[in-house]
Amino acid sequence: MDLSIYGLTEIILSLKATNLANFFAMLVAFSFVIVTFLTKNYKLKKSFYALFLLLTASLFLIVYANDYLLFFIGWEIMSITTYFLLSFTLSKKTLHKYIIFAMASALSMFIAILILYSSNHSFLYADAHQSFKALGDIEEFIFIVLMLFTIFIKIGTIGFHYWLVDAYEESQNLFTPFFSAVLSKMGIYALIILLTQVVDITYPLAIIGVITSIIATFKAIQEDSIKRLLAYSSIAQLGYIVTVLGVYDGMGGALYHSLIHTVVKLLLFINIAGIIFVTGRSKFSELGGLLYKTPQSFVLLLIGIITLAGMPPLGGFSSKFMIYTSLMDAKYLLILSAIMFSSASAFLYIYKLIYGIYLGHPTNKKLESVKEVPISFLIPQYILAIVLIALGMFPALVVPYFNAILNELNLKTIEFSNYATLTTSFAEFNGLVIISAFGTIFVVLLLVFVNLKTKVKDVKNRFDVAYCGEEPDEATHLHYGYSMGKELQRVGFINTILKNSVKYFYDYIAKQTLNFSDILKKIYSGQLNINFNIAIIFAIILLWWSTK
Amino acid sequence: MIILDLLLMFLVAYLTGFLYYGLYRNITARFQRRYGPPVYQSFVDSIKFFTKEDAISHGWMFYLGPIIMMSGAVMTLFFIPLFNIGESFRGLSEYGNLFVVLYLLVLGPLGNALGVGAGGNPFGVMGVTRGLTRLFAMEMPFYIAVIAIMSLSQSADIATIASHQETYNAFAYPLLFIGALFSFIGMMGQSPFDVIGAPVEVYSGPASEFSGKFLALLMSQSAIFTFAKLVLMVHLFLGGADGFLELLTKTFILFLFVIAFGSMYGRFKTPQSVDFLLKVPSTIAVVGLILATWS
Repeated sequence: MDLSIYGLTEIILSLKATNLANFFAMLVAFSFVIVTFLTKNYKLKKSFYALFLLLTASLFLIVYANDYLLFFIGWEIMSITTYFLLSFTLSKKTLHKYIIFAMASALSMFIAILILYSSNHSFLYADAHQSFKALGDIEEFIFIVLMLFTIFIKIGTIGFHYWLVDAYEESQNLFTPFFSAVLSKMGIYALIILLTQVVDITYPLAIIGVITSIIATFKAIQEDSIKRLLAYSSIAQLGYIVTVLGVYDGMGGALYHSLIHTVVKLLLFINIAGIIFVTGRSKFSELGGLLYKTPQSFVLLLIGIITLAGMPPLGGFSSKFMIYTSLMDAKYLLILSAIMFSSASAFLYIYKLIYGIYLGHPTNKKLESVKEVPISFLIPQYILAIVLIALGMFPALVVPYFNAILNELNLKTIEFSNYATLTTSFAEFNGLVIISAFGTIFVVLLLVFVNLKTKVKDVKNRFDVAYCGEEPDEATHLHYGYSMGKELQRVGFINTILKNSVKYFYDYIAKQTLNFSDILKKIYSGQLNINFNIAIIFAIILLWWSTK
Repeated sequence: MIILDLLLMFLVAYLTGFLYYGLYRNITARFQRRYGPPVYQSFVDSIKFFTKEDAISHGWMFYLGPIIMMSGAVMTLFFIPLFNIGESFRGLSEYGNLFVVLYLLVLGPLGNALGVGAGGNPFGVMGVTRGLTRLFAMEMPFYIAVIAIMSLSQSADIATIASHQETYNAFAYPLLFIGALFSFIGMMGQSPFDVIGAPVEVYSGPASEFSGKFLALLMSQSAIFTFAKLVLMVHLFLGGADGFLELLTKTFILFLFVIAFGSMYGRFKTPQSVDFLLKVPSTIAVVGLILATWS
């Protein structure tokens, strides 16, 4: 689109459907369809739907933009519609936090784009690299810092996640899946655009990603609120993607993990939404023992957490495998160790997630009358679970599509022989064999044991457990594990991570800003005579400037 | 053909595992100035338990726990080739790699954790919580060592790694081996990292509610899993094996070392073991990794 007819010469805007854009647009569209299943359970205002549609449209604008100006416009619409969507449920404080961070992110992006524009007078991605090269050293540095600042706020990299966790927790249960699955991916998309079109940042990015994932994992372990735990988990998972984007050949792993993360976070947040819908509780310490009340939800969550943990035989392993082998190829061995450490620590919060809700003992008598969640919550989860199982069986199912993207970006493609074998340059595995071997062993054992099973007393009373010869009663604390991970506070350096928070830093900044504005208030008090005097001084300065 | 191979692998692991379990009870007994039970005692016990009735049931998920755990153990076994060379006893290793095995190692315990959670016994969950809290610290030095070994031999295939050692990795990269050995002691459930089951101290850890056939299943999986882990360690650091005799010798030496170590030391509390594992063995392994791959 040429804007010269409006008097804006030299500015060309355009949209382009690249394979990369199509991939992210597909994620947006898929998540949108999945989330719409839930709408019938919530009484929402009409304006909510209007804003939701506007938000989705802005996301399409972001992914299909072919220049930084349209991208920025889309980004701005996204931030503001999200603000209005969040304003339905968020407390004032959290909302303020969100909008301050969103505005800071948008403004810094705007400045960065203008810096880029200043050198070559073009917003187009195609010219971005040349424009960047034409910048001076300091401008280059400022551009990178501002751009990363924008992206890190959206992704919620540790240090910039202050708004994110609260916003996730308080947002509408219908909206949280979309929030986590798609909005955070826009940060990843922006990062990919930055890395492929403008400048390649490698090692520092990998370090930032890995630190994010480790700290977020430990923070997640401590949380009692389910949605906060998942919010931290989301940060950690995006940390993996940032890490692998810091590797030269990491794009395949990043795309794969984006896909898996979108699917799995939709599944988990929808599952949680269902549980909150039927019980009205959202904390581990208030739930427990729902397994036999809501068995379908349990199995679906189980599929979700196996993927989140990156266990074979489901899809999560495929993407983790891609990430690990890219790091291995790039010889980032310490980073690989750190990321596997973070991945292993994640087992703790992952078990807590399923135990706190479904296993153990109900913490309250009311939970004993809970029924299975409505079918409209289950259908989308079944669809997502099938996707995850399919990706576990045929891990290379998406490889041809990724190869098209990688070809377009002039990156090394992933080897492809058949759908069941995922091959990287370092190693390969056959998903179909793994899942069928596991299935066969499991079924054989199950059949043997079902046949061997003798008549056995099913426990009627839930207090009928082995308890050191004593009899527990209503007052005994049996839902023990919801506070798991507390022991980690006794480990010195982990406690340091847990105790410190960026809250103190931002509180300090807020305090200083308030003090400063107090001083300003004294000068600009709102009295007419003083305002007039200020205006006069300002006018004199301007006059002096113009005569100079 | 492959089915027969897998069945034979299973049988070998089952019998050897129980032999080692019997030896373990005997050797620890000698450390404590007792005689200990006959070597075949555990095997007989497990067979006996298979014929017993279960005392109590907590629903289907409770039963699935041990079954998933057994499946995990058998899967781990199948994805580790027993020998460096030859066509037989390779299992499914050509379809997987070391990354798969690293994850399969934790699949079983996590599956069982679900069953334990479904049982609702707080003592069982106490064991699980301790285990998971300790797990990531325990895996850390092992992961670092394995990553270094993989990078050095430029392969994630276990048989390739095993057969590409001119001097055994244990001697070529001693720091990596020491780091991994600490993890390995923890993986084998030996002191000072045995707080999960914590005999005497906790009522009895993850196995609290299980009885009869499911207890027998847990015992059998423990035997198979022990053997699989020993074989993995031998492949990674001691050059693997070409025949049964070599395999048994090497695994037994490793096993003896682990038992002796376990008998000598007291038990760490969970935070202590996390702290220790992250400080000492992980540092050793990181230094080992840097020394081994610096070029």
